[in-house]
Amino acid sequence: MSDLRDKCAIVGVGKTKQGKMPGVSSLMLSVEAFKRAIDDAGLKKGDIDGLLTMPGTSSPEASLNYLRVGEALGIDPKFTGSMTMGGGTAGALVQMAVMAIEAGHATTVACVFGDAAKTGGSRFNRASGWGDSWGIWGMYGAAANSAIAASRHMALYGTTSRQLGEVAVACRRHASMNPDAVMRDPITIEDHQNSRWIVEPFHLLDCCLISDGGVCIIVTSKERAKDMAKPVVTISGMGQAYTTRNMEREDWWYVPHQKEALGRAFKMAGMAPKDIDVAQLYDNFTMSVLLWLEHAGFCGVGEAGSFVEGGRIQLGGELPVNTAGGNLSESYMEGWLHIVEGVRQMRGECDARQVKGAEVCLVTGRGMTLNCSNAMILRAA
Amino acid sequence: MSYNKPLPELDDVNRPFWEAAHQGRLCLQKCSDCDHVRYPVSHVCPNCLSYDSEWTEVSGKGEVYSYIVFHQKYNAAFEGDLPYNVALIQLDEGPRMISNVTGVANDAVKVGDRVQVTFDRVTDEISIPRFTPAEG
Repeated sequence: MSDLRDKCAIVGVGKTKQGKMPGVSSLMLSVEAFKRAIDDAGLKKGDIDGLLTMPGTSSPEASLNYLRVGEALGIDPKFTGSMTMGGGTAGALVQMAVMAIEAGHATTVACVFGDAAKTGGSRFNRASGWGDSWGIWGMYGAAANSAIAASRHMALYGTTSRQLGEVAVACRRHASMNPDAVMRDPITIEDHQNSRWIVEPFHLLDCCLISDGGVCIIVTSKERAKDMAKPVVTISGMGQAYTTRNMEREDWWYVPHQKEALGRAFKMAGMAPKDIDVAQLYDNFTMSVLLWLEHAGFCGVGEAGSFVEGGRIQLGGELPVNTAGGNLSESYMEGWLHIVEGVRQMRGECDARQVKGAEVCLVTGRGMTLNCSNAMILRAA
Repeated sequence: MSYNKPLPELDDVNRPFWEAAHQGRLCLQKCSDCDHVRYPVSHVCPNCLSYDSEWTEVSGKGEVYSYIVFHQKYNAAFEGDLPYNVALIQLDEGPRMISNVTGVANDAVKVGDRVQVTFDRVTDEISIPRFTPAEG
């Protein structure tokens, strides 16, 4: 797979207003994000011949979302489909776009997501477990799975709630510098500690937001990218890995497949953690960032708690993480905005929160309990 | 008062598990071809894809592998129990189960604690396996 290195680029990104927008549907948000992305790229609708979508939690057509969005946009694509991997979807679709382009099935692919989750009342509260539902034992919601990971990490390695709080504080500080972020008031570790329990060991401020919004990301070949409106952002590395085995796998809680996804991305790009200037790490919960840091090799197993102390993952620190605020504070677009921020950092468009001189960005995604993971390495020019 | 929380939906695959539990025994499927003891209940061995298995009683002993406490209401039926715990239990025979630790305060349970299965009779047909602190 290493011959996909540097073959494609992200040439357009579009995002709608984020937050709570009563009266707006998932479809409206998808369409608006698409319009903004083609404008960003300097493209016309007719230039898009691939359409990949992720249904919102509030999209009534569910996995037929590609048909609904395609009809609204008036597109007959050469290549299309929808994928539902929760927070693992955005990266998987962008990577699928690269594969389709390189295989000659499309030239320019729009990846689209819209969700009126906040207005639609999505609570992300279903019980996991095929067969006998874990709801029999009262285990509900997305937080519980990551809380299981955090609780064991704390027991094995001495990781603390205050260290989780460092992630929340960093994301909020970055969001405070992002005019488009939903939650912009800075918080302290004490605010984190004093926020109410959701599922111990998680406080409220360990948990991501629920948001309305839309995002679109346009991928084309690197050759075509050179003729487009914005600075080229190259996809240098990509990798995916999954586990479907859940409790049959002893280290399931530690999401070990994430390390495989990252390893594949680094290998394709011919890079190592030391090459990364800025990282957008999927943060459905604070704990997830700690696991990414360990799996990527920025620190050793069990060391991420102390790694995030002292502002190391804040702007101005050694490894700025989630520079737009992440799922925790910018908006919960299930990781789609992590890719957008990665692109904008590589273009140098981020104003106050720009990481000066940044040329390489790591972006990760994870979804569906602890099942799906992916990583991409983006490079300026 | 009738039990209003989620109950297992019995079918030909999981019925032996729940019938045994109602008789006070924790029984899991052991693959007839590769000897893998599996959980959750499945019609096929996830190790070797064999359809042949036998139900085998396990000790019900294990340890708390991870442990969380719910404060948020996700399902109204559990509202009166808040805060309540959910534990990932590592059974001595290998499999892991989602369950609860009962008979002890939430803040008295730690990862690594030894536990023993107990059966909570919630209806005339169903007893839910939970775990209590155990010695050794």
